[in-house]
Amino acid sequence: MTDRETAEDIEAEAARWVWRLDRDGRVPELEVQLEAWLAGDARRRGAFLKAESVWTLLDRAGAAASPSSSAKSARPVSRRVLLAGAGGAIAAALVAGGVLILREDRFSTGIGEVRRVPLEDGSAVAINTASAVEVAFQRTQRTVRLRDGEAWFQVAKDVRRPFVVEAGAVRVRAVGTAFSVRRRANGADVLVTEGVVEVWAEGASRAPSRLRAGQGAFVDASAVVRPAVAAPEAVDRKLEWRYGKIDLAGETLSEAVADFNRYNERKLVIADPGIADERLYGAFNTGGPDAFAAAVGASLGVEVEVRGGEIILGRRRAS
Amino acid sequence: MTSDREHIVKWVANEVMPHEAGVRAWLRRARVPADEIDDLMQEAYAKLVGLQRVDQIESPDGYFFQVVRNLLTDKLRRAKVVRIETATEIDALSVCSDEPSPEQATAARRELSRVQALIQALPERCRRVFELRKVLGVPQREIARRLGISESAVENEAVKGMRLIMRALQEEGAEVRGDRMRKTNDRSRNG
Repeated sequence: MTDRETAEDIEAEAARWVWRLDRDGRVPELEVQLEAWLAGDARRRGAFLKAESVWTLLDRAGAAASPSSSAKSARPVSRRVLLAGAGGAIAAALVAGGVLILREDRFSTGIGEVRRVPLEDGSAVAINTASAVEVAFQRTQRTVRLRDGEAWFQVAKDVRRPFVVEAGAVRVRAVGTAFSVRRRANGADVLVTEGVVEVWAEGASRAPSRLRAGQGAFVDASAVVRPAVAAPEAVDRKLEWRYGKIDLAGETLSEAVADFNRYNERKLVIADPGIADERLYGAFNTGGPDAFAAAVGASLGVEVEVRGGEIILGRRRAS
Repeated sequence: MTSDREHIVKWVANEVMPHEAGVRAWLRRARVPADEIDDLMQEAYAKLVGLQRVDQIESPDGYFFQVVRNLLTDKLRRAKVVRIETATEIDALSVCSDEPSPEQATAARRELSRVQALIQALPERCRRVFELRKVLGVPQREIARRLGISESAVENEAVKGMRLIMRALQEEGAEVRGDRMRKTNDRSRNG
């Protein structure tokens, strides 16, 4: 009775089992060991079931993808599966215009949707709301076209095949690094989270510029680079959409509203121009304009009204 | 076989875990010692493992309360002294578990956004391990290389992270449910 295993010890061991099974797959040796462990105490099966359930919750929290993305599974992919995927892609290789294209894929997201897509080279893409991405891997280059919107890329290192993102005329090249690109009317925002990237613009004579981890910039169609982000924390903050969050640290109300409206059909409207420049702090769910509106209402002391498909902030000032 | 298991795992994640905090809060109010609560919860989950089908269970939270209640009743029966409060709380629970649960559907959704927030709140290295493994599917060896730590350290970070998340989930889960329970209990005491 005294040396009875505590629930805490069991919990830790159950978590370890779930991690190991995820890491190695359900191979027979492991299954046998697991069964032996489970049989040792009535509580262990319960702890293991719960740990497995938490693990699946984490799956969905990470891959907050829509059901439509099930074909190109956004679930974690083991190295083995990745290799099998690459084999399949080579088998499906086709010759187009004399260039051997290994594979071309299109991925898009609806408003409010964030999709994570593992690529066959081991890289991964997180695609933000209302965006479209085309993946075209060739022998000598891994090309990804950002047709619309924004995406963050975690690039697997492959020195012989650089990874190039095309956003309009803007080009961003990486060997092994992580960065995001957001298409704008006349250029693109680039945020680097790891390593170094080169940016330039197709058809512009300006030489490529380098951006490193923690830096962000707007690159226009003539390759002029304007630094936009001061600190590494700010880069991370601007990429909170990967976790379904908008993290405000002094953005104005009008900037925040524009950001929320990217993710929601129901639009926020600022009725009182006097509050548009108020600076805001706090983290919100991208899909929760109501909670945001309620927080704005409470902190700025203004009225919030839901009318039709709009959430109206503040009362129009009598002019 | 495996798919049945997956089905139960998903059902537990969506329908049962969001209510664990409510059950724990109730057990605390019933003066059940903390280590016994931990044991009871694991035993309760173990009961769910044996279920053949879960879809026919209309009110999973009520069902889960019932399982815990039965386990507790058994324990109390074996114990020599039964505290008055504990017995009263058990009676209150039977009233509660018969009620339909309007917040059931939203509980799962709340849970998901809470998990996202919890991952964000993990210590830096834990969070990186989860991100690399769960979001990007990076193998353990590669995670170790990228973070510059040993593979067993990666495993330990993962275990630590999972436990932190479990802890957070089970302590502050279904606040709505907890409140309602308190009301039910008050009513039964007053009347």
